[in-house]
Amino acid sequence: MKKISQIILRYLFILLVIALAFGLRAHAAATLPIDYDEDDYLRAGQEFAHLIRTSNWRGFLETNYRPEHPQLAKIMFGVSILGLPEEPLIPDVPITSEPAESLPPDQLDAARRMSTIWGTLTAGLVALINPIGGILLAVHTFTIKYTSQVMLDGFAALMSTATALAYYFSKKKTGRQKTAFLVTSAVFLGMSASSKYLHSAVGIAILIDWFITARENGAVKKYLRNALLWGLLSLLVFFICNPFYWADPIASIRTTYEAVTATTTNTNVERANFPMWQQLMYMSMSVPLSWSQDGFLIRADGLIFVLAMFGIARTWKKDRFIAIWLLVDLFLLLAWRTKWAQYILVATAPLSFVAAEGIKESGRNIAAWWRSRRERRNEALEPVRNDSRRALPWLVPGLIAFTLLTILPLVFQSAISLTDFNVSSLREGFNGGIWRAIWGGITGGVPVTSIDINSNSNQVNFTGLQAYPLVFSYITGSFTTWNIIFFNIMWTVLSVVLQSALGLGVALLLWRKGIKLTKFWQAIFIFPWAIPEMIGALMWLNFFSPETGWLALAVQKYGENIPLGFFNGWENSADLWLVVYLLAAVWYGFPFMMLASNAGLKNLPRDVYDAAAIDGAGAWQTFRFVTWPLLLPLLIPAMVVRGIFSFNQFYLFQTFFFTSSTLATFSYNVFNPSGFGIRGQFALSAVINIIAVAILMILILLFNRWSKASEGVTYA
Amino acid sequence: MRKVSFIRQMLTQFIFVLIGLFVILPMWGIFRLAFDGSLIGRPTAFRFFPKEWSFEAFFRVLDKPYQSVDFLILLKNSLVVSLGAALVAVLLGISLAYAFARFRFPGRKSGLFALLLTAVLPPVAFMTPLYIILGMLQIRTTLFALVIVYSAFAMPFCIWSMRAVFQTIPKELEEAAFLDGAGDFKTFIYITLPLSLPSIAISGLIAFLIGYSEFALGWLFVDKAENVTLAMSIYAMTLNQYLGGAQPWSYVGSLAIIMSIPVIVIFLILQQTLIERMVLGSIDS
Repeated sequence: MKKISQIILRYLFILLVIALAFGLRAHAAATLPIDYDEDDYLRAGQEFAHLIRTSNWRGFLETNYRPEHPQLAKIMFGVSILGLPEEPLIPDVPITSEPAESLPPDQLDAARRMSTIWGTLTAGLVALINPIGGILLAVHTFTIKYTSQVMLDGFAALMSTATALAYYFSKKKTGRQKTAFLVTSAVFLGMSASSKYLHSAVGIAILIDWFITARENGAVKKYLRNALLWGLLSLLVFFICNPFYWADPIASIRTTYEAVTATTTNTNVERANFPMWQQLMYMSMSVPLSWSQDGFLIRADGLIFVLAMFGIARTWKKDRFIAIWLLVDLFLLLAWRTKWAQYILVATAPLSFVAAEGIKESGRNIAAWWRSRRERRNEALEPVRNDSRRALPWLVPGLIAFTLLTILPLVFQSAISLTDFNVSSLREGFNGGIWRAIWGGITGGVPVTSIDINSNSNQVNFTGLQAYPLVFSYITGSFTTWNIIFFNIMWTVLSVVLQSALGLGVALLLWRKGIKLTKFWQAIFIFPWAIPEMIGALMWLNFFSPETGWLALAVQKYGENIPLGFFNGWENSADLWLVVYLLAAVWYGFPFMMLASNAGLKNLPRDVYDAAAIDGAGAWQTFRFVTWPLLLPLLIPAMVVRGIFSFNQFYLFQTFFFTSSTLATFSYNVFNPSGFGIRGQFALSAVINIIAVAILMILILLFNRWSKASEGVTYA
Repeated sequence: MRKVSFIRQMLTQFIFVLIGLFVILPMWGIFRLAFDGSLIGRPTAFRFFPKEWSFEAFFRVLDKPYQSVDFLILLKNSLVVSLGAALVAVLLGISLAYAFARFRFPGRKSGLFALLLTAVLPPVAFMTPLYIILGMLQIRTTLFALVIVYSAFAMPFCIWSMRAVFQTIPKELEEAAFLDGAGDFKTFIYITLPLSLPSIAISGLIAFLIGYSEFALGWLFVDKAENVTLAMSIYAMTLNQYLGGAQPWSYVGSLAIIMSIPVIVIFLILQQTLIERMVLGSIDS
């Protein structure tokens, strides 16, 4: 009986997901302003509606407004407005123009409603195999946005999700049912590709997963035949769904190719100047408030992204295909040249699956932690009574100093964060205003003032916790589309990985027997470690500074074709600027990792290598199966040290005056009364600092669970 | 011993040369600036070597590098601030470090967590409250304020690393002394301290370096030219350069070199000890 009630509950839950998804999308469809490209797809829909109405079926062969995209999703928009009276065609404007001022309202509504239905169905499909994933997709703001406007991505995402799910089910079945599901997936894949080319990525993921499975079962030959048939079938479906290709496929492909080139190399793309990883940044935040103030009721995209990072390993173990699906999509988003936000719809469905696993994973971890906490409490050595008495004289002087110098300021900082103390209320604040506001606010003696950044009131006011959501949405990009927390963490990961790779690589080369001059080289490589960070930053500034730097002068003299000449103009390049900062960070950090690897390598037991040599292991195998597993536990603490340093990186960015890089740099510049932009906002900078403290606390707790790495915190 | 083939040897050396260039080039850029006597303002053309070798910039910088403040005053300020911070951090932290290393008292675990957390915070995290507290005490712009600020940054780290040092001293040694009738304090002075002194000195050195090379927070607190440190004046000169100031760029270069030399010398002399303390400290755990 329990089973039936569970099934009923499950379907009720799915219905709930559908209702939630529909409600949020309908709300967005009613509120969002007209966006770029909506006019294009509505016009395409008008054309198809006209063809259908006049039964001009031959027209399908040559009608494809905006030929960079295939026809199917546009035909669907045509269907959506079929029942409405015909309106004049929306004017044909260049692809780089601004969003349309107005569109025929009835048709816009109808097309948007169609979009809404696709988006709702996608969330429902996800909920079918993972209800929590369905909820996450239902509330994902970027997904809501592009499945409630007249965009092709909604239908394409529905088709590609259906493709993936059909394949997913085929893996659990055998015999004819398996074949039926595989055929279904091929059909849906063809339809995904004929909605938006990018969405055929799911096909690549299927082929990869299918291949791995076949190899595990030793059936690669059978796989090749079946996969070929499967691919041909989806190609056939694609061809059927795109009458545009029927008459002259070659010419149509050329038209498509030219149109795609035009959309990926136009002035809008250049002006946006997005870095390679822009789509990851979009995924790390909700739709910016500057795009829409009230279109979205729940804003949790960043949380979903973080959960997905926690869930990817578990997903790989449990449902490898879903993980591959997400990874292929992410890879494609990184590689694809244009970085418009709607493209992330390729990946949001698998992202929700993985994030749902992330919820389960975190839940399991917290439960395990809770259980072990109780055990540890039982095991933990009781404080020794005699020890407490003996410890007291040692504790008192240090504790006073430590409390006064560090704890008290941190407590005071959290109190300041409840006020609006800034440079214009400096005088009053110093003369007791801060105490008055904090004390009055906490005891309820003074009213809560609403926060206003532009206020130059010369009095300190109590604002309560208002600043927290404001600052948090600012630094996660709600106003600027630049998510500092995301950049900060990406920076940490990239610079630690690169430093460690170079440091370990150099150490391995130096370690090899018979290499000459190793002492000399090591002495050279250590140098950056001994130079104060700010001087190192100065050296790199002198090297790379635009126009006045060494490199810029060299290019002036010898032209672009000198070594490193391509770096000239890095400050305007979407991708090179990060490389420049990373170069400086790696320069400064790799010696530490080299020394750590060196020390670790010296500790490795020799006899293991002799055994490996006797077994005939090659150089790569020796590294992969002997050196690396033995060395990694020794390197992790050093990497944590470098990671904390990179997370807090400040002097490098301050010297290059890149203010919204790390939380530390941003906080400094928000604080600095003589800076640029937002400045002299003492209370806001306190809020940023507290957010940074919270993030560091979480990172430390994570690391501590992962390894005892924090024991080794040293100066890097 | 296996012999390395000639090609492999050459390939490795080639890689080393490339990495060596990566390490040396940016340093050389500053060197070439510092020794070029021909610079009037910013360098206008690319040169690999200085046009006219000269030590003039060094002499100028050793005289009055920044806003007609004597080099010696800047140096004195730097030393006061960083030595002061190092002393405060080590002397006031040492007893706490010992207590955490040796005794089991209630609240030890949460204390350790607080210590670790404050040790990994960026200096900027302390900037806001200290600015306000010191401002209210009306000592914000003095060198003493900088000593307090820098020791606040350095102290958690010093306690954390001294605690690790004390833990490596065998407990049996102390217990033997204790049984011989020496109290906790005597045991510490005669047994533990002498054994751990070199490592404590390294913690102090690192605390010193934090203050020695800090500039950004210094500029928030200090506003009088005579209270400026070396690192602060380098930053101010750099900023001035990029805003189109008239000073020859060789000054910043030579000041940066002068400032780094003592640090580099210390690092080279103490290399082995530093590696053991800083790098192995992170590995041994």
